[in-house]
Amino acid sequence: MQKRMSLKDILIANAVPITFFILTFLAVLVAKIPILFLLSEIVRRLSRNTFLVLALIIPVVAGLGLNFAIVLGAMAAQAALFFVVDWGITGLSGILLAIVISSVISIFLGWIAGKTLNRAKGREMITSMILGFFANGVYQLIFLFFVGSLIPFKKTDFLLPQGVGLRNTVDLFGIVDGALNDLLTLNIGFITIYIVPLIFVVGLCVFLTFLLKTKLGQDFKAVGQDMHIARTAGIDVDKTRIIAVILSTVFASIGQVIYLQDIGTINTYNSHEQIGLFSIAALLVGGASVKKANIWNAILGVILFHALFVVAPSAGNRLFGQPQIGEFFREFIAYAVIAFALAMHGWRSRKGK
Amino acid sequence: MKKVLVLLVAVLLLSSLFAQLGFKIGVVTGTVSQGEDEYRGAEAVVKRYGKANIIHVTYPDKFMQEQETTIARIVELAYDPQVKAIVICQGVPGTTAAIRRVKQMRKDIVFVVGVPHEDPAVISSAADVVLEVDTPGRGRTIVELAKKMGVETIIHYSFPRHMSYKLLAERRDIMEKTAKEMGINFVFVSAPDPLGEQGLTGAQQFILEDVPRQLAKYGPKTGFFSTNCGMQEPLQKAILKHGGYYLEPCCPSPTHGFPGTLGISIPEDKRGDMTYILREVNKKIIEMGGAGRFATWPVPMNMLFVEAGVEIAIQLVQKKVSPTNLNGIKLIVTEAAKKKYPKAELQVRTLEPYKNYYMFIHKSVIFGVDKF
Repeated sequence: MQKRMSLKDILIANAVPITFFILTFLAVLVAKIPILFLLSEIVRRLSRNTFLVLALIIPVVAGLGLNFAIVLGAMAAQAALFFVVDWGITGLSGILLAIVISSVISIFLGWIAGKTLNRAKGREMITSMILGFFANGVYQLIFLFFVGSLIPFKKTDFLLPQGVGLRNTVDLFGIVDGALNDLLTLNIGFITIYIVPLIFVVGLCVFLTFLLKTKLGQDFKAVGQDMHIARTAGIDVDKTRIIAVILSTVFASIGQVIYLQDIGTINTYNSHEQIGLFSIAALLVGGASVKKANIWNAILGVILFHALFVVAPSAGNRLFGQPQIGEFFREFIAYAVIAFALAMHGWRSRKGK
Repeated sequence: MKKVLVLLVAVLLLSSLFAQLGFKIGVVTGTVSQGEDEYRGAEAVVKRYGKANIIHVTYPDKFMQEQETTIARIVELAYDPQVKAIVICQGVPGTTAAIRRVKQMRKDIVFVVGVPHEDPAVISSAADVVLEVDTPGRGRTIVELAKKMGVETIIHYSFPRHMSYKLLAERRDIMEKTAKEMGINFVFVSAPDPLGEQGLTGAQQFILEDVPRQLAKYGPKTGFFSTNCGMQEPLQKAILKHGGYYLEPCCPSPTHGFPGTLGISIPEDKRGDMTYILREVNKKIIEMGGAGRFATWPVPMNMLFVEAGVEIAIQLVQKKVSPTNLNGIKLIVTEAAKKKYPKAELQVRTLEPYKNYYMFIHKSVIFGVDKF
């Protein structure tokens, strides 16, 4: 009897990943897409997107919820890459320089974000989302009106005809395109595995595991569980939360550098917009909640979420016989599951009370 | 024996109708919610060459946010060894990245891209042939059209994201300069970005409210132009209701906005027949008192780019034309245009210094003035 109960508990606790797995599996059966394509896409996305998803974990542990403000880190990464492109620093040194510059900017942005979120305790998620919108306005102002006028920029090919403002595409080809990917690759049949970005991901996983065992990690957990008790225990709650946001922003900026060197072009005014929502969706799909997340949620989430993203359009196409319905189907499934994940979390936390 | 022979010939003929290419072509367009013309163009080529030869897939509606999906959809096509060409219209962000990835594993696939969103230098380095409306050239023709219609002030609606597109920014500058030369007042009005927080509805609301405001300020001889597809319908509606001039749609076509604004439903068999559609739109505009105040191009350029793009792709694969053959490409596109509108006359040039970046321009027609 007890055993059956625990099985049920496991099922309920993992309802989101299980549902997603079943959906993905059915979609793979229906879609009939080349299995090699599916595998190589998933492997590539693991090396490209996991770092960004991992950047979300610390704020969850520290009780800040899902940090939509990782968009700030992404913007810092893009800003750093623009200057690396302008200075013409190619290859690995370009990437490393971009990581250093973007980390410095991210520490500053994370500090501001952390300060703001401390003033909005209990409403961190919506605040971080609006913070992202606000930062987007500042970003547009800087790169549309200040670059070329106040901020010197030598490569005129990347500027608008008047000489002020960046164009909508910044090409990384021949500069830092694939600079991490191509360092070390492993070919299994048609599947190429990019080792170096994966080493970065593993490195961050190890670092996070280690960090959560230190004093600072314990502080994160304590603050996440109950701010009041943490404060009475002598932890500087506000400072701990700011550190959590700074770390998250810095990791997000490094993640965005990894992401963009893989994609190869920067969509100047939009590349950062997409990463907040999709990273969060992937983490939720992996079984995380607003209050609990670990590295396995991130890894599993990237695999499941992206697998469905890859197969759903073809599945919809096969099922309904019309290309555009495939697209509507994918959109419906993807966003329905995000909503489902959030609703499940609400239901579970109510049940837990 | 005779019967068998006849049957055999019939079967061969039938199968040759569908398998005449000997290879497959992938066609990538948006869904109808983002722009109907290119989707209908893809349907037309599927009808012409059959599902066995054309694989039609769509990129996401939110293509700005879901670049990865666009890349995956294009790369997926390349896993079919029979696919020898891919036609993409519109070339939304992610197209260049996808082309480079495909070329890494399959050098034999040719790419034709219509209406690229990415920067000309970037896309022309990756795609074989790029087809685009002559955007800087229109900076001159739109103002000339305005002059012909008797417009004294031009209102240009756009927003920062669009103004970060090199060619759109260049067109605005040329429009301003040409307007000055011709003694027309040029006003740039910043509208909300439909991809911003307010969304498309916010942008449409703004247009509906702003047109009467501008008319009150600059008088009835004011002409309007907007760089965004979603704003065309409210713009046409507002001008029909309050007065003023509608210079041209952003993507010139008789089907861009007009059928929705005027409540025209096009029967299934007339979908690609532009002469029919132009006559219907013309009739309705005259009826509603808009004669002489609305203009467009008689050929739907995005639809044309898909259909002509497939023809170019076939000839590229069969090595009958080279990607930089200006006259060869012009001939193919003009032939495809004449199938839609027999009086079609296109001018073409390449965007210096990119020899494979073709820009087309067509003379405008004014409803209630021109005959169809």
